[in-house]
Amino acid sequence: MINQNFDPQILHRYLDGTASAEDIEELSAWLRSNADARLEFIEMLNLDSTLAAVSQPFSAEDAAAMTQACEPASMSIDQVTAATESKVAVIGSKDSSTLHRLAWLATAACVAMLLSGVWWSQRTPQPWATVQSRVGAGEFAVGAGLRGEVNQIQVGVVQLVTARGAQIVIEAPATFQFESNNRLRLTRGRLSAEVPPAAKGFTVVTPSGEAIDLGTRFGVDVPTDGPAEIHVFEGEVIAKVSGTKASENLFGGDARALEGGAGAARELRSSAFIQKNEMAELSAGHSSKQRRRAEASIVALRNDPTLIALFDFELNEEVPPGVFRMAQGRWPGSRAPEFVSVGDHVKLDVGGDHQWPQLTLAAWVRLDRLGAPFQSLLHTDGWNETKLGQVHWMVTRHTTMRLALYGNTLAPGSVEPDIFPDSRTPVLPEQGRWIHLATVYDAKARTVRFFLNGEFDKQTRQDIAYPAKLGPSQIGNWNREDRKLSGRIDEFIILGRAMSDKEIQDLYSAGSPYPAMIHKQNRPPQNLAPVKNDE
Amino acid sequence: MPDTDNNDHHRQFLRHFTTHEPAVRAFVRRLVPSRADADDILQEVSIVLWKKFGEFRSDGDFKAWAFGIARFKVLSWLRDRGRDRLVLDSDVVALIAEESQNVEPHLERQRIALETCFEKMRTEERDLLVRAYERNARIHEVALTSGRSVGGFYQWLHRMRKLLMDCITRALAEQPS
Repeated sequence: MINQNFDPQILHRYLDGTASAEDIEELSAWLRSNADARLEFIEMLNLDSTLAAVSQPFSAEDAAAMTQACEPASMSIDQVTAATESKVAVIGSKDSSTLHRLAWLATAACVAMLLSGVWWSQRTPQPWATVQSRVGAGEFAVGAGLRGEVNQIQVGVVQLVTARGAQIVIEAPATFQFESNNRLRLTRGRLSAEVPPAAKGFTVVTPSGEAIDLGTRFGVDVPTDGPAEIHVFEGEVIAKVSGTKASENLFGGDARALEGGAGAARELRSSAFIQKNEMAELSAGHSSKQRRRAEASIVALRNDPTLIALFDFELNEEVPPGVFRMAQGRWPGSRAPEFVSVGDHVKLDVGGDHQWPQLTLAAWVRLDRLGAPFQSLLHTDGWNETKLGQVHWMVTRHTTMRLALYGNTLAPGSVEPDIFPDSRTPVLPEQGRWIHLATVYDAKARTVRFFLNGEFDKQTRQDIAYPAKLGPSQIGNWNREDRKLSGRIDEFIILGRAMSDKEIQDLYSAGSPYPAMIHKQNRPPQNLAPVKNDE
Repeated sequence: MPDTDNNDHHRQFLRHFTTHEPAVRAFVRRLVPSRADADDILQEVSIVLWKKFGEFRSDGDFKAWAFGIARFKVLSWLRDRGRDRLVLDSDVVALIAEESQNVEPHLERQRIALETCFEKMRTEERDLLVRAYERNARIHEVALTSGRSVGGFYQWLHRMRKLLMDCITRALAEQPS
């Protein structure tokens, strides 16, 4: 039992540095004789130390300066000398090589900075994070500070920077709450984070576990049901599953679900997350009223008499059957099916038995770069001679686009690696972003033309060219074997005529969520001159 | 040592150090009389950690290793400078060191819970607490500007610590552990 005669004020005086010799003597005796007292003492000192730490948060400038100082690659001898001036005398080392000594000094300087009061000059509590930009997400004002309140985003995307300089993009629908300037609880939604050295240890807490960053870029997806997932784009993250002691270190290219046991590994979904650089473009596109133009162009298409099908997956539209998640589309609050698990697909049955001498297929997609050989855009069921001309549109293992019609053959001299018409330019970007894919088939002219982001990419000539056949089909998979598209698909158009190059260009320009100029600059660096295969 | 190895070594160290620094800081704080002493010792500890990092096994427990080194530093500090300070008896410090290491996971949860509790405080009180806990804070001046006597301010400070401790206890009781 705690000594009844002990005055609790003594402990506080000890913390304040105002204890007398008698106080200390009494405190020592009390602690020596009593284990409960020691625990109470330990807890109170723990509180005292943490209070001191939270009372002296980093400012953004501090974080930036420290990032520089602590990054060995960026450190010049001048910086090292300047930074260590006061410390060199203490930490000089005689028995090391110059190089070793330099690196050692640099780290010591960095550590000294981590610890010294230089970084902790703020007098009032600072926000833990600040809103940098937003697309939709009207709940947030740019420049607003966030601390421990619970935040919800119904539609859109918001970009935040923490007091330690971590860049975070959160996509709706999401619920989140900062627990400190380096700890964020995400109850629902998805985020991407880019974490500089000063914010190392940045932690995302989810209902099924934690992601602890070790200086990197990564994404966390918390779906409405099922475990959260961590996807590491670059660097290293520790994954901790709730209720277990185990932790796993994930590296660039790794992904896993926060659940115990085998089967937690996932394929990296590079496009599932909106990252910092894409956010800038989405924001610019949003303010230039791209969405209104997109909606106007869709209205025009709906009145095209040759239209076979148009899915934009919005609320006012009947959702086609299938197995998929509904995620946010190209616009704040718009919808797009997302294919995540094996077997996910959208089912459709359009075009009947009709033979289409001309066909245009176009879609906005957001695709992951996967090891899987094929990702289906549109696959009619089966593949055999009873359905000559049946259509399979996909992304291949070469990351090019392919339009295969059953029974068709390539014209002599074609450069295609397989026996089907393929686009020339790879269509999958390294990082997630929306791209517009289109292909125009003309059985009479015996041509297949491919378009990437509105621009003509390549024409392939066919020797035998059957009219196109549709019927029962899947978007995002094939009924015969798994060719799952991994990612989202938005605004899928099937038209029973050949669109002109100009029309495709307009379709792209009107529908792009990014401002036109920026998007063009982001095309893959390739020579895009049309290639004629038959010459 | 080639440059890239050096950088790697450096990165690894920083990674461990930044992750465990709050725990090591709090550990040192428990063993010495003031926050300023703890800061001084922590600087020395960090330099020793870096010097000896080559001996640290990459699959080892950095926190436990750092606690060991910190404990050694604290004991030698108490020997050297403890004489002219009011410090707890060294046998008590040894007990505290050992026992606080045993309950470290619990203490870490408390440290995390504190940040939330701190956030829930009324703004004026939180600001005042920050000023009292700031590095090199002058309690007399803080008391004066808060309109309290020095004695009254210390009483207020004691009450705040107690309220925060109660809040932490409540928060952890609600959490499944």
